[in-house]
Parts: sequence; C-alpha cells; structure tokens
Amino acid sequence: MGNVHVHALKGISLKINKGEFISIMGASGSGKSTLLHQLGLLDMPTQGEILIDGKDVSKLSEKERSLFRLTQLGYVFQEYAIISELTALENVYLPMLMMGRKKQDCINAGIDILNKVGLGDRLDHLQHELSGGQQQRVAIARALVNKPKILFADEPCANLDSESSRQVLELFKKLNKELEQTIVMVTHEDWHMEYTDRVIHLKDGLI
Amino acid sequence: MFNDLKVSFFLACKSIQRGNKGTSILTVLIISLIFVNLIFFPSIVDGVEETLIRQSIEHVCGNVVIEPKDDQRYIDNADGIEKKINKLPGVVGTSSRYITGATFFYNNKLKSGSVHSIDPSDEEVVTKFHSGLIAGEYLGKENTNEILLGIDITGKEGEVTGDSDLGGVQVGDKIDVTFSNGVIRTYRVKGIFDISSININRYAFITEKEMESVLGIEDQASEILVKLSQKGTEEKYRTLFLELGISEDIETWREKSADKIGSLVSSFSLLTVISTVISLIMAVVVIFIIIYINTVNKKRQIGILKAIGIEQNVIIHSYVIQVLFYCFCGIAVGLLLFGIITSYLSVNPIRFPLGYVRPMVEQTLILQNIISLIVFSLIAGFIPAWRTANENILKAIWG
Repeated sequence: MGNVHVHALKGISLKINKGEFISIMGASGSGKSTLLHQLGLLDMPTQGEILIDGKDVSKLSEKERSLFRLTQLGYVFQEYAIISELTALENVYLPMLMMGRKKQDCINAGIDILNKVGLGDRLDHLQHELSGGQQQRVAIARALVNKPKILFADEPCANLDSESSRQVLELFKKLNKELEQTIVMVTHEDWHMEYTDRVIHLKDGLI
Repeated sequence: MFNDLKVSFFLACKSIQRGNKGTSILTVLIISLIFVNLIFFPSIVDGVEETLIRQSIEHVCGNVVIEPKDDQRYIDNADGIEKKINKLPGVVGTSSRYITGATFFYNNKLKSGSVHSIDPSDEEVVTKFHSGLIAGEYLGKENTNEILLGIDITGKEGEVTGDSDLGGVQVGDKIDVTFSNGVIRTYRVKGIFDISSININRYAFITEKEMESVLGIEDQASEILVKLSQKGTEEKYRTLFLELGISEDIETWREKSADKIGSLVSSFSLLTVISTVISLIMAVVVIFIIIYINTVNKKRQIGILKAIGIEQNVIIHSYVIQVLFYCFCGIAVGLLLFGIITSYLSVNPIRFPLGYVRPMVEQTLILQNIISLIVFSLIAGFIPAWRTANENILKAIWG
C-alpha cells in the first residue's frame, strides 16, 4: 500500500498515502459520492482505471470485487446500515464469518473491536436498542473487523447530532493515529476538516 | 461453498428468530393447510376406490367369479365345481347363484329387476350383503316362499317416488313376482336390505331351492362366487382353477368391476389432479408474495450486505433456507392436522351414496406431495430473492 491512483469522473488523478485521513468535500452534485463509490468498488468507471496497491481493480469480475471489498476495504454508510435482525456483535463479526473464520474467533474479534469503539456493554443489542451514534459506531467496528487497507466513509455524520458526530470523528481520528488506518471520508461539513489530514475539494467532477 | 452455506444459514436463522413472528406463524399455517389439501382429497378418492372394491368383493362378486361360457346360459355341475374349489387352501368359500329377470308387483305398482338365488349358508361365507339388512331376517335354507328385497325395489313408506319403486313394501307384506320364463309366484317379504353399493339394492334374493323349482333346473348356476383368504391372489387362483379343469369363464373382481369402478375412479382422479395443481399454485403464490415483500422491504439491507462483501449467492440462499424452514414446519403441522382429520374420519366415516368412506393414506402419496410442495416453494422463493439480490448495489442502497 503506497499509492491509490484513480482516473475517474472528469479526469481526476488522486494519490492517497497509507495512514492518511482524507476528506472529500464539495457541493451537492460535485461528484464526491461518485468518487467514493468508484474508489470503494461499489461502482465501476465507464472509462479509466482504479489502481489499489498497484493492482488494477477495475478489471476484476463481480465475484472478485466482492471478495476484495470483504478482505481489503471497509465501508461506513450515511444511514448506519447495520442489519436489523443481527445484534451489534453479530453485525460486526459477519464479515469475518464470510471469510471462513471460526465462530469463536469471530466473536472474540468482534468483542475486541466493539470495546475499542466504546460499545463493550452493547454487544447483544439489536438496532432498535441502539442510538444513532451507537449504530454508526457498530458500522465502523464492522468496517474494521477484517483489518481493511482502506476505510471508506460516506457522510458518516449526516444523520447524527453534533455530539454524536464529534464522537464518530474522534473515533476516526483515534483509529487513524493508533492503528494507522487509512480513511477516506466524504463530508459536506466544514468543521469536519479539523479532524482530517487533507481535504480534497470537488467541483463539477474535478478537483 | 460450505462456508457460504454456513453464512446463509446464519442469516436465515437470525431472520426467522428475530423476524415478525406473526408472519412466520401465518406462513406456516397457510403451507400446512395447502399440504392438507394436497393429501386429503386424494386420500378420499383412494378411500372411495377402496370402498367400491370392498363392496364389490364383499357384496357383489367375491374375489373371483366363474360364469358360463358365451355360448352357454348356465354352469353345469355347479356342486362338483364348488367342491373342487373348496378343497384348495386359501379358499374361504364358494356360493353359486342363479340370476334371472323378473317383475315385481305390489299394491298396483310394478317394478322390474333381477332375482338372485342363494344358498344362504354358503352366501354368508362369501359375501356380507346379509349384514345390510335393515328390516326383517335373513333367508333360511329351506325358505321357499320368502324373499329378500333391496331398498330400491321396496321404496320407503310415505316417500313419493313415482314409478321408481313399489312405494313402501314392509316386512311381512306379500308381493307377486313374474319371472322371465313366465312363472308367477307370491312371496312373503322376509327382509329388506340397504347396502348403498353398486347396484345391489336393486336385487331380490330367494333360496336356491325355490329358484330351481321356478326354472325347472338343478345343479346349475348363473355364476359361482369364490371368496379367498387374501386379496391380491386372484390371478394365482385363476390359474389353479384352470388347472383343476374348470373351463368356464373366470374373472377376478377387478375385471368384473372394472367398468363401474374404473370410470368413477377416473373422474375422481381428474378432480384430484385439478385440486393438486390449484394447491401447488396457491403454495407458489403465497411463498412468492412473502419472499417478494420480504426482499423488497430489505432491498437496502441486501445492498449493504453486498457492499460489505457478502456474496449475492449467500444472500439468495439465506432466503431459500427460510423457505425450506417454512415448508418443513408447514408440512409437519399439516401432517399433524391430517392425522387428526383421518383419526376422526376413521371413527366417523363420510357417507357417500355408494357407502361409508374413510380416507386411505398412502405413504407414496404423502412423500410425492412433500417433494412437490418443497420443489415448487423453493422455486417460488428463489425467484424474488434472486431478482432483488441481483440488483445493482448503489441502486439497492440509495434507490
């Protein structure tokens, strides 16, 4: 993991270093979410390449992309996006189960990471038993459980109050500093910039 | 692949465990009722067939019927033939009958029919029509001026039936019988029977001795009925009878009743097929709707699962596993319900015009319908799950 080269949108070329905490900002319609989806392999470019660690991931099959997302990437969505029928712990260790890890190992890793995000006392809580901020932290824990190379966060604080938003951003900052987690975050709030190392402004599909 | 199934199973279990219990119970109940419908109607049809067969054997023709050859009117040396047959192991008894057409006259009413003669003690061993007596008594061997009549001949007193019967003959009444050879006799009605079987209520019975005096013949028979200890061995005994030198026409109950039972059973079989198709369509529709609504409501969730790296097939299989769960539970409840229904009907059989019918349960039928229900349900559940899971991730999450 050294460089992420993306040729996307209207000729964007972007380099992100390991351990960086980047925010992508721009007005509505500027292409920031599109850029994030492309980087996170949720969508494929109509033209151009996406290189992660020197590997052209735009040529992968759907199955290969799915496996790459599972093992190499992590996602935090705008609206928490945890599975309502699973507890906090089950939500977190689901990606590990998918990778074929033993159930007990999954449980242990899930407990560990939920403790790290401050939800050690909410392991068996279902979605409706968690606040918005707690749900988002579960989603962050899930995104991190497989130790991804890159964590993508698409407006993670959009549906949170300011206090919960601060907690989430503090957590991101902590993960970035302590675990050297590479984080790419889309946001439209100016005050979020103080948490990030670098800001990329998009306008009309261009940096 | 095994790991993928494990994850599918995990997702399915959690969905069932924590999903809407009311919906789950309703789904299982609907599947159980569909399953009961799948097996109940065919079991009644099988019961009808069994009743017809039993009544054919027990009231009409025994297991095997020996009749004169085409160019003969009667079987000669009927006693000799019966003695030979009765010596064979596995033969319970034989009963020879004369059959002739007759007209019955009572109280200014006329009714055509046929008169059968029997040796009462032989007949009791071979058939059970005597158990259908609803009034009076059975014939004695020496009765020469008494007659048993079926309810279709006597009619019921007080009922207006036009010319279809004699308008309510009672035990003890005297009726005049004109035989096909012109002989007229007056008989006292000794008994009336109602069997609701194939045609038998249209018969009258007198003793063999009386019939021989009417027809002026002896040691002959229009037919000889043979009762065997085991149903299903008729073909074997046909061969044995031929080996004994019996040259008359030998028919099994199946051949004798083929037309009557066959056409009735064919009609019912068609209804069974229609009922089965409708039930399976209902199962498909119910499962499809339930899974469709489920997946549409969880479209975003499915998109999220795909986004975090859960394979599409894993998601689809989790819904298929849920369908299997509903199916198995529905079938189990259906079997329980069916068991209760059949237990009740075993004690309180359904009265059909042809007799009392109990459901006949065949294991192959149950197994067949279990497999059909599962297969069709799986297809019905797979399609909506596949459609939703196949959708583009971004479209599924953000619409």
